[in-house]
Amino acid sequence: MGETEPVTAIEPAGHPAETPGARELVLALADDELCIGQNLGWWIAVGPFLEEDLALTSISQDELGHARALYGLLGDDIDAMAYGREPHEYLCAHITELPCHDWAETLVRHFLYDTAESVRWDALADSSWESLAAVARRAFAEERSHLRHATGLLDRLLRTDAGIAYLLPLFDQLAPMACELFDAPSGCSDEALVAAGVMSSELGNQRARWQDIVGDALAPAGYQPQWPVADPEAAASGGRAGRRSPHFAALHAEMVEVLSIDPSARW
Amino acid sequence: MSRAVPAGVVAAVRRSVSMVCDPEYPEVTVAELGILERVSSSDDGSTVRIELVPTMLGCPALDVIARDVTDAARAACAGADISIEVAFVDNPVWTPDRIAPSAVSFLAREYSVAVRRRSATASCPICGGTALEHRSDFGPTPCRSVEWCPQCRNPVEVVGRVEFPAAMGAAQSRPVPA
Repeated sequence: MGETEPVTAIEPAGHPAETPGARELVLALADDELCIGQNLGWWIAVGPFLEEDLALTSISQDELGHARALYGLLGDDIDAMAYGREPHEYLCAHITELPCHDWAETLVRHFLYDTAESVRWDALADSSWESLAAVARRAFAEERSHLRHATGLLDRLLRTDAGIAYLLPLFDQLAPMACELFDAPSGCSDEALVAAGVMSSELGNQRARWQDIVGDALAPAGYQPQWPVADPEAAASGGRAGRRSPHFAALHAEMVEVLSIDPSARW
Repeated sequence: MSRAVPAGVVAAVRRSVSMVCDPEYPEVTVAELGILERVSSSDDGSTVRIELVPTMLGCPALDVIARDVTDAARAACAGADISIEVAFVDNPVWTPDRIAPSAVSFLAREYSVAVRRRSATASCPICGGTALEHRSDFGPTPCRSVEWCPQCRNPVEVVGRVEFPAAMGAAQSRPVPA
């Protein structure tokens, strides 16, 4: 721990995993899962009701498991990848770093993130990188209950005046931010990844599909998010390019709290 | 490490690891729960490989299970110069259908945990009622959901979630195996 481990090659040359950008893409998705999982874990014992406490922390556990499976595609020392890199080496989207200690914020982020994730897993489920496809299918199966949780609550809350008053302004704020989930990491060409069969559709197409899902869910409340135009320049200086938001330092410090006390600690 | 795995060692390892118990249900084996997928020897014969299927990717018991399985395999080939490889595989995907019928009745009897398999209706472990009502996908462990038995008015933990159609688009586009 504490030292940067290079991402090690475990697949032979010519393998789809060697497609330029493939490992960076997987690393970005793993980092998203790690931060979301860590942030959702904050709700243990403080959820607004018991079932919600269990739901958010079970989802947290699932997302951390997905992070572990994705890091496992890149090398053997999963702890080093999850905890031991420099901040600029993480490729997570900034929305995953937000603490969201307000439950309404957590719900809106959860909905945006899990709908985005289901689109991403779907695009990887038939990947030519077979072990990535297996993780995607496995994670996608677990994702259903996350989606059901997010959409079930959202549906019900958006039928109330209080729900509308709380939640829609949060969509104004978080929906544009969530678009970064579909930005490519620096140096990653999604056209090349699609050509190599690593992904079945380009990130821009995935984003469009996700926006439709979000739009359909919010239409009954008479609301449509203001989607920003995809901006490659902004992406090149965002979370996928290694730039961390102000929330990352505290989140990371919490993740490595035990390891920094005892570097030999095991899970 | 170039020696072949002696005949009988793979079978001995299989017997030994089949008896490893799950940390959550210490009387039920990983074989009965369908976590143990395959025991085989490598082509060059130097390694016995044990493949396990995780119930959930985020299951916190995975490391304990891998450790216990490794220990059991080592014990079975004590003295022999054989390396043991334990791997969680992502394919096949675990489903409650992998749980042996004997374990289903044991879980109901001893833990009041019901199992929802595709092949049979889940029933209340307390009164046998089959009209269980879904309450929450998220129970005390990631692989158990919470239902309600209207017949005996008890909450019931169920391994395996009810399959509703997902509320929206993405999850419906592809059949999911769990």
